[in-house]
Amino acid sequence: MTVLTHAFTPGPLVSGGAVSVNLMAPIGRFSVRVRESGRDALGAAIGLELPTRIGARTKNGNREVICLGPDEWLLQTGAGETADITAACAAIYAATPHSLTDISAREITAKIEGPAAIDLLTIGCPRDIDQIAVGDGCRTVIDGISVILWRDGEASFRVDVWRSFAPHLLGLLQTGSAELSA
Amino acid sequence: MLLIRCPYCQQTLPELEFTYAGQAHVARPDAANKQISDEEWRDFLFIRTNVKGPHYERWRHAHGCGRFFNAVRDTVSDRFLITYKVEDPRPELSDLLEKSE
Amino acid sequence: MSSFRVPGRGRIDHQSPVEFSFDGKKITGVKGDTIASALLANGIHLMGRSFKYHRPRGPVSAGSEEPNALMGTRRGPGRFEPNTRATVQEIWHGLEATSQNRYPSLEFDIGAVNDRAYMLFSAGFYYKTFMWPKSFWDKVYEPFIRAAAGLGVSPTETDPDHYASRYLHTDVLVIGAGPAGLASALASARAGLRVTLVDENTEAGGTLLSEPQAVIDGSQAWDWVEKAVAELKSLGARVMTRTTAIGYYHQNMVALCEKLTDHLPAPAANMPRERMWRVRAGQVILAQGALEKPLVFDGNDRPGVMLAGSAQTYLNRYGVRVGNSAVIVTSHDSAWYAAFDLADAGTKIQAIVDTRANPDSTLLEGAKSRSIRVLAGYTATRTEGRLRVKSVRVNPVSNGKVGAPETLTCDCLLMSGGWTPSLHLFSHTKGSLAWDDEKQTFLPDRKTEDCEIAGAGRGLWGIGAAINDGAEMGALVARHLGRDAVAATYDVASDRPGTGISHKELPTDLNPGKARAFVDYQNDVTAKDLRLAVREGMHSIEHVKRYTTNGMATDQGKMSNINGLNIAADALGKPQPKVGLTTFRPPYTPTTFGAFVGYHKGDHFDVTRKTPIDSWAEENGAVFEPVSMWRRAWYFPKDGEDMDAAVSRECRATRASLGMFDASTLGKIEVVGPDAVEFMNRMYTNPWTKLAPGRTRYGLLLGDDGFIRDDGVIGRLSDDRFHVTTTTGGAARVLNMMEDYLQTEWPDLDVWLTSTTEQWATIALNGPNARKLLEPLVEGLDISADAFPHMSIAECKVAGLPARLFRVSFTGELGFEVNVPAAHGRELWEILWEAGQQYDICPYGTETMHVLRAEKGYIIVGQDTDGTVTPYDAGISWAIGKSKPDFVGKRGLERPDLVAKGRKQLVGLLSRDGKTKLEEGAQIVLDPNQPIPMKMVGHVTSSYHSDAAGRPIAFGLVEGGHDKMGDTIYIPMPEGVIEAEVTGTVFYDPEGARLKL
Repeated sequence: MTVLTHAFTPGPLVSGGAVSVNLMAPIGRFSVRVRESGRDALGAAIGLELPTRIGARTKNGNREVICLGPDEWLLQTGAGETADITAACAAIYAATPHSLTDISAREITAKIEGPAAIDLLTIGCPRDIDQIAVGDGCRTVIDGISVILWRDGEASFRVDVWRSFAPHLLGLLQTGSAELSA
Repeated sequence: MLLIRCPYCQQTLPELEFTYAGQAHVARPDAANKQISDEEWRDFLFIRTNVKGPHYERWRHAHGCGRFFNAVRDTVSDRFLITYKVEDPRPELSDLLEKSE
Repeated sequence: MSSFRVPGRGRIDHQSPVEFSFDGKKITGVKGDTIASALLANGIHLMGRSFKYHRPRGPVSAGSEEPNALMGTRRGPGRFEPNTRATVQEIWHGLEATSQNRYPSLEFDIGAVNDRAYMLFSAGFYYKTFMWPKSFWDKVYEPFIRAAAGLGVSPTETDPDHYASRYLHTDVLVIGAGPAGLASALASARAGLRVTLVDENTEAGGTLLSEPQAVIDGSQAWDWVEKAVAELKSLGARVMTRTTAIGYYHQNMVALCEKLTDHLPAPAANMPRERMWRVRAGQVILAQGALEKPLVFDGNDRPGVMLAGSAQTYLNRYGVRVGNSAVIVTSHDSAWYAAFDLADAGTKIQAIVDTRANPDSTLLEGAKSRSIRVLAGYTATRTEGRLRVKSVRVNPVSNGKVGAPETLTCDCLLMSGGWTPSLHLFSHTKGSLAWDDEKQTFLPDRKTEDCEIAGAGRGLWGIGAAINDGAEMGALVARHLGRDAVAATYDVASDRPGTGISHKELPTDLNPGKARAFVDYQNDVTAKDLRLAVREGMHSIEHVKRYTTNGMATDQGKMSNINGLNIAADALGKPQPKVGLTTFRPPYTPTTFGAFVGYHKGDHFDVTRKTPIDSWAEENGAVFEPVSMWRRAWYFPKDGEDMDAAVSRECRATRASLGMFDASTLGKIEVVGPDAVEFMNRMYTNPWTKLAPGRTRYGLLLGDDGFIRDDGVIGRLSDDRFHVTTTTGGAARVLNMMEDYLQTEWPDLDVWLTSTTEQWATIALNGPNARKLLEPLVEGLDISADAFPHMSIAECKVAGLPARLFRVSFTGELGFEVNVPAAHGRELWEILWEAGQQYDICPYGTETMHVLRAEKGYIIVGQDTDGTVTPYDAGISWAIGKSKPDFVGKRGLERPDLVAKGRKQLVGLLSRDGKTKLEEGAQIVLDPNQPIPMKMVGHVTSSYHSDAAGRPIAFGLVEGGHDKMGDTIYIPMPEGVIEAEVTGTVFYDPEGARLKL
């Protein structure tokens, strides 16, 4: 188990049978915004379909996208792919106006796994986690902090959080994990 | 803590994801193209219905899809009669009350 | 083992003794005991003194409604809790309990003199006694009230425990795990729903734990409970004990407080003491049963006087006989069974005194078979005994006349005035209650939430009725939730349903004015007090409550409300439903502050946002200050410097050579799209159309009322992309405001907004050597004075990192702001720090930033403005694009009050003596000799010692300030009046030459 550092060094923050919390390695992240009329073209440029149901996700290789709002998606990619994506989108901008904004450094991601993963989330998240389908996600709130919650499995989640809020949120998850294993 | 249906997400979700955004259907007068009197501008800025009962109001799904939307909420019971998209027409109160019976 | 413990009886572990202390005396109970049951097993009834009269008191109940047996409990260092109810606190080895409201000892208490003077302490006595003279308030009355007030002693140490909270979503929440609750939960769980069953007791079972004789579908009651709980768990239901539903809120949100460690001698280190659950339920079933009512007669509060049902609980759950010699006084059948159980266990029942003339024949037979004397149609008129009841005076009543008394000796008196449905939580929902004439109580009526009430809570007495009602309700809510569900039916044998009547005070032949007939035990409210309140004009039950404090104690009127109502209604000459009940409010039982605080203490007290450079500042001795949710480096003291010395040095170093500042908290918004410039034109006061890519401009944001909301430097990266900065505190608010206008006023604009506050770490370099430091580190950009002039922006690389570089200054010196991806923020900071050593680079904090900007006359929104300041007032009307057709605030600026004379305007203020630093927030007057209250014409908004100016400088908002240049204004302070001159706001380098280096 590692102490949380200011650099958010990837690795285990909490290890245990009930629940583990791991900081994930840096990746590429974009906020993607486009009107309905340009959605297909922008999706093609990025290399995957932009889903229309809020909370739905699509994936193609390293690239994964989640629909966060009627005209808003979050795109995650390999750390080295951001320049390619920026270029591909710039190429269609004139015909398909959109906003592609690099937010790779804005947030960090923690992976929460284990039989008590849902219990751990419920210490701060008011959503009914049971209602988030595996393979979906949502923007929601944990202890007053905006997060994006990805449900990857029955008991496997990722939480994206803005960097400055991470010490508070991760500290809370550590406290909660200790409590769940007590 | 209330439960609020987001008309964009099509889900009923905890109030903590939302922020209140004041009375609905207060249109900003078109001062760019028209002469707007002091009284009109005052009304736009400050004059609100402050009803006891069904209130047309705005919310934002701030920790969610980020959309502003409209709602009719009874300020006595805290019950929502309806939530609807910004672009949707203002629903008639009589229809809503009939439906909620 | 004491003689009051019945071998083999109860749900306690007779073989496991547990030692604890009460007022320093060692007491031995057994595993499973509460403090009260253990003390009763040792023959101790005296457990406390009452609040007002300091009357000796013992437990009147066996549950959470207990008003009397309140104690201080200590669970180790720092872990002291006052007012613990002895009837619910489980014992463990080493627990320390102490009685309250007594001095020097429980048996001999000086405060009991109040009891002799009870005639002085009647209803409303505070209001009457402490009326005059006025001068007595501070010195006499208030100290007296403060000394006398308070229940128990507050803990003085910091609570070392920790507390937790959770959200829970469930289809069906069942509150109360008695027969009705268990059957409800089973019905819902069998229908495949997510079910949560909670009970405040240590184990499920409710009244079944006190009635082991009952047989349900052929199973003994306790066996049935065990099977029911096992089945619930196998169906995935969550069964939570020691968990109190404390409040019922909108849309089926119920707050639960779960007690996790108070019953454990040595809880695990990471275990929270309590956990608050915020439960959202599809349907709620309230199966909280009913609470027994005392009877109201003189001396109904002596230790040994107890509710009959509670005595039955002590016997059947805890194996304790509450006395050797009992008199039963009742108006309800249920107390007869308590008498029978106690008689069978060896207690001598002196008599069953029933206020009803003709008790049920099977009851009479039960008494006869046990040779118990029955006095039917009797009243109780007085008890005797100082620290324990020793006799009761009873009289026959016929045709309303009270006959000759008889005195019965006893060591305990068990009473029952009938049962009150526990509808506190239902009342939290604003559900209405209806008076039931037959049952003489309120029952639930109109509901406001998706809930059902099952069992005794809606006036159904007896296990058979409750359990079958529970099953029906469980199936009903399952059907509400779209499941096929049919209620099971239960066959209950050896059930004890009963009936009774309800009373006001019992009739007496003695002077009722001298009767100490208690209605609210905890607040020492008597029947006489209630009648006095009505006589003195309190005709609303809410007024009666407040005048007498009836029902206002920590037990929230659980026992006293209906008795109080009966008496008040009688005094008012109105039927009970016309008088009504006072409102029950959350929490249902007293709840610790810790449970509400949850995780939010210590490190988790509130969110503290930290920049990527925060760790460097911490390692290098920064003192921090909170700025909105951030903590920011305030100053970097060296060698024991105080703040003034450190700030002076930081200012000097920056102006002389080079300073570095962590500006990462600045809000940043990326505005992108073909309509980006149009959007900027509409949001900000400034014109943006002609701003070329690569250039920046100071942007001013107003509200539509015309007042300043925010400001910041805004760069145009390309035709369609702006990098907007906002104030630190305004970041979220500004984005919200922009989204509001974009989504609801101008949805036609093709532009999108993204917060990039946290994408970028921002390091500001200021000072004449800023370029020299930066130049060798920059790739792909010529940053010479001509190629990259003041107010430029460009994308480039700095120290090999992708960067957005601003040439901008908030200090008046040559300045740059380097933005790099936040993950590299500290890396760049350290590179600049190393490279800057040759220039004696100085890290500075927010205080120096404030001083340097003030010397240049730059405002800080929110400090020099307060939401009522226009650009004209602030002296920055040059930022307004007057030729634009519209922008947010344009029409607002023309409002009559905003163009009127005499507005408060921002000016510089220099103390006349050149030495005195003004105080921020201090009020300004024009004539210091005018009489008080003086006319205040403004206040000081910013004030610092300026190293560059060699004197203190300040800003203030002053009425008509722009026309007062050179005038003297006055700042009256406690030490004397300060004279100051009204000046311009620029105190340093007014030509701006240093910016252009």
